[in-house]
Amino acid sequence: MITLRNIEKVYRTDTVQTQALNQVNLDIEKKEFVSIMGPSGCGKSTLLNIMGLLDNPTSGLVTISDKNTTKLNDKELARFRNKQIGFIFQSYHLINDLNVIDNVELPLLYRSTSAKQRRDLAKSALEKVGLSNRLRHFPSQLSGGQKQRVAIARAIVGNPEIILADEPTGNLDSAMGNEIMNILLQLNNTEDTTIVMVTHDESMAKKTHRLIRLFDGSQVQ
Amino acid sequence: MIRHLFKMIWNKKKQNMLLMVEMLASFMVVFAVFTLLVYNYQNYRREMGFESDNVWVINFNNSENIASLDTILMFREAIRNQLKSMPEIKAVSYSSANVPFSMSTHNGTLDHNKQGISSVNRYTGEDSYDDVLDLELKEGRWFTKADFGLKDNAVVINSALRERLFGTGPAVGQYIGDVSGDERRNKIVGVVKDTKFKGDFQAVEYDMFHRADTGSYRYLSQLIVKVIPGASTDFEGRLHKTMSSAIKNANVEIEHLSEKRVVRNNLSLVPMIILLIVAGFLIINVALGLFGVLWYNISKRRGEIGLRRAVGASGVSISKQLVGEALVLSTLSLIIGSFFAIQFPLLHLFDLPSGVYIMAWLLSLLFIYLLVMLCAFYPGRQAAAINPAVALHEE
Amino acid sequence: MLKNYFKIAIAVLRRRKFFTFISLFGISFTLTILIVLAAFINNIARSAYPDKKRDRSLYVMLMDQRSEKNGRNSGPPSFYFLDHYVGSMKTPEKISIASMFNATNTYINNKKLVINVKYTNDAFWDVMEFDFVEGKPYITQQIKNADKVTVITRDTRDSYFGEGVSAVGKYIETDNETYRVIGVVEDVPVTMLYAYGDMYLPYTLSKRDYLSKELNSNYTAVLLAKSAADLDQMKSEYQDVVSKVPVKGKEFDKLYSHADTYVASYTRILLGDGMESGIGKMFLILSLVAFLFMLLPTINLVNINTSRIMERSSEIGVRKAFGASSGTLVLQFITENIILTFLGGIIGLLLSWGIIFYINQSNLIPNIHLTIDFGVVFLGVLCCLVFGFLSGVYPAWRMSRLHVVTALKAN
Repeated sequence: MITLRNIEKVYRTDTVQTQALNQVNLDIEKKEFVSIMGPSGCGKSTLLNIMGLLDNPTSGLVTISDKNTTKLNDKELARFRNKQIGFIFQSYHLINDLNVIDNVELPLLYRSTSAKQRRDLAKSALEKVGLSNRLRHFPSQLSGGQKQRVAIARAIVGNPEIILADEPTGNLDSAMGNEIMNILLQLNNTEDTTIVMVTHDESMAKKTHRLIRLFDGSQVQ
Repeated sequence: MIRHLFKMIWNKKKQNMLLMVEMLASFMVVFAVFTLLVYNYQNYRREMGFESDNVWVINFNNSENIASLDTILMFREAIRNQLKSMPEIKAVSYSSANVPFSMSTHNGTLDHNKQGISSVNRYTGEDSYDDVLDLELKEGRWFTKADFGLKDNAVVINSALRERLFGTGPAVGQYIGDVSGDERRNKIVGVVKDTKFKGDFQAVEYDMFHRADTGSYRYLSQLIVKVIPGASTDFEGRLHKTMSSAIKNANVEIEHLSEKRVVRNNLSLVPMIILLIVAGFLIINVALGLFGVLWYNISKRRGEIGLRRAVGASGVSISKQLVGEALVLSTLSLIIGSFFAIQFPLLHLFDLPSGVYIMAWLLSLLFIYLLVMLCAFYPGRQAAAINPAVALHEE
Repeated sequence: MLKNYFKIAIAVLRRRKFFTFISLFGISFTLTILIVLAAFINNIARSAYPDKKRDRSLYVMLMDQRSEKNGRNSGPPSFYFLDHYVGSMKTPEKISIASMFNATNTYINNKKLVINVKYTNDAFWDVMEFDFVEGKPYITQQIKNADKVTVITRDTRDSYFGEGVSAVGKYIETDNETYRVIGVVEDVPVTMLYAYGDMYLPYTLSKRDYLSKELNSNYTAVLLAKSAADLDQMKSEYQDVVSKVPVKGKEFDKLYSHADTYVASYTRILLGDGMESGIGKMFLILSLVAFLFMLLPTINLVNINTSRIMERSSEIGVRKAFGASSGTLVLQFITENIILTFLGGIIGLLLSWGIIFYINQSNLIPNIHLTIDFGVVFLGVLCCLVFGFLSGVYPAWRMSRLHVVTALKAN
């Protein structure tokens, strides 16, 4: 599903050169639920951004669904992200000016879907995360766990094959974290969605199929 | 500290670029407004140099069909005497059409010692012209009957022209203007104080007064009269009747200089007021904009401010820093703005005295600094009130 | 999609009320000033009472005689020129000849009245469509006889005879002459130079010598064509006539006079030179002034919008992550901005409507009646679009270049 070959990422400023990723090779199969762990600053988020086509590697090859992504331009990248990938962030990144259902509809705005269809899809996505009763609420009226469930609904509404989650439980207490984790596991089970999750939490990582450890930009296991 | 401020600004030069452009544009607007205001105020403060109260103008734009010059002269003399005999009238003089506060100007280039002085106003009046207008003589005398029939024409000039031509040397008795062939020469008999015939906001101009000679009566179609204070409308009606029956084929119109003065001043005042309204609106707009952007910047820098507080900056020093940053930023724009502003006196654009530009420049600097300080003060206070613990926790 | 933009635009506006206020203030006031100014210009240029046929009229106000040596003598042409030469033209249906207004005095009941007198021919009453309150205009025969008859305005009647008192048949005295009133018309604003006067008299009563063969004097003319299509032909016929006028004496050797459209007849005096009508120059100056005037508010808006947009970097990041391309985002922000400017535009229109209403009510400028017409509104809408576009494009461009990862981190 996702293939990374010889990925390097180097950040350059005038004086310092930082190697964020060093020769990372990774194969993630369809329907797999993979977690990535490692100390702060080891390059987890960078790796996730590269998988999500939010960032370009300095060198190396990213193939997603058998498609080489290196040659895509801004517009094609945007389309690709829209269709194939759903994102979940640690700090939710909901748009404060939109209510819950409008937030969930967001990915559908960037493809040709009718308003009615958008609404229906968003509702069913919210049902899956158990939030059908909060459609008109604004993000500021929700708890952290609820916000993250909205974010998950937004990630799955476009029916992507891959979900990339950057510490989805990082800002939540363990009860809420477990709740979110259960939703993700269920998604993986019933919808066959491939999930890659960055986490600090060993107990969460244990629930996934495979654990990848990063240290100083290199893959340890 | 200043170095630190510059560093802060330099590191955010992209963001600050727009703010600087805005300050620069505001400075140019303010500079233009102040230039106009200073210029007009300086002119306004000068004395009028003559008295316009109780002076009336009688216009009789006619085309008399009287052929001989002698007849015209006699006829004019008769009118003059008739007016003089009225007890309400203190003094009478025929005048060229450019009476005070009228839209009419007679000016031209004066060639003197082969040197052209442009825009010298020419006024024509009689021996009593200075009595009607209360002109103040600084040297010599006004025209008298004795000036009639001499070899030279008698002229009176104003102080500005006197200084331009003769500096501190003697002026009365001097000839003015180059002549060719057998043209009569103009000899100065007196110097009057500078007058503001073109309204309260007139700049100093060069004036030259000619004595009405027999030839000029063909085209003199204005009379100026000084009346006693409180002359009634009733009297004005009688005066009008007298004039209309004396000059059969003329439209006669009587105007009061005090009213003409208001109209003439409005010509300068109305554009100034419109400009002030527009500029005022622009400045309010800019002030709100600056305030908004500075305020927003502070809310974005809560973390930084929290950190500064944590490492020991006091609230006052934080707010000082923010106001200081805004001032340094405005200084940079003002330096660029001053470069443009200085071109006006250097290139002699618009022909205004350099002093006006310098004054306007100083006022504009002051104004922009005050404006920026005012706009930065409240956001600065807000920043000082930020609780470092909360701000740092947010990060 | 548009509905979504609209929704978020409103939400953003409501959240940052202070910024919204600044933006709306700037936009609405700038527009108000532009619209009021446009209404003034429009008022001067548009057909209006009593000069209602401007689309098929040409105007003559300038006779410009020149020579290298003696300089120039320029001013309104003489009655003789307009009657004798221009009067021979074939294309015009009617030619109205009228003097500039002359101020005269009259004294009644211890009160002074300034009455501006205009001398006209009879065609004046056909070309100008005056509304008669009572009576009728003078006719050819009365002009020939030099009958002492006059048409006065309502204002003049009210101040001379008393408010609302019928004046026809009564006598009015000004400038020591007495005239019989035969008609009263509605007032004309002083901006209508070709028609303005307080009192209209047959030109044969003019105290100036209307028979004098000088070319420069004190008269203006309006040439009325049968249809707007004839205007060009009328212009060229006028030039033919002018070219046949003998340049009198040795004083001047060149002679310029033009039959112009209404606005051009003014710009020719202010900005024209010889054959050049100066109307292009006027448009250039007006657009330059408008541009300079809009520059500062625009920079201000760009500044505010940049702040506004950068504040939403998290939103931008999310949108990008979920598949919005840079182009889509730029479009979104420009749309938002145009919505904002339109809101400001509506407020601006309301404000200018209020100001214009006030100007009309207060009689600040006598007899003037400003209107916001379709053209002015269209101009306002156009200004909004330009304004919204200009002030939105730079911030949107900067925002669209924001890298997704940084945008998301910025929160």
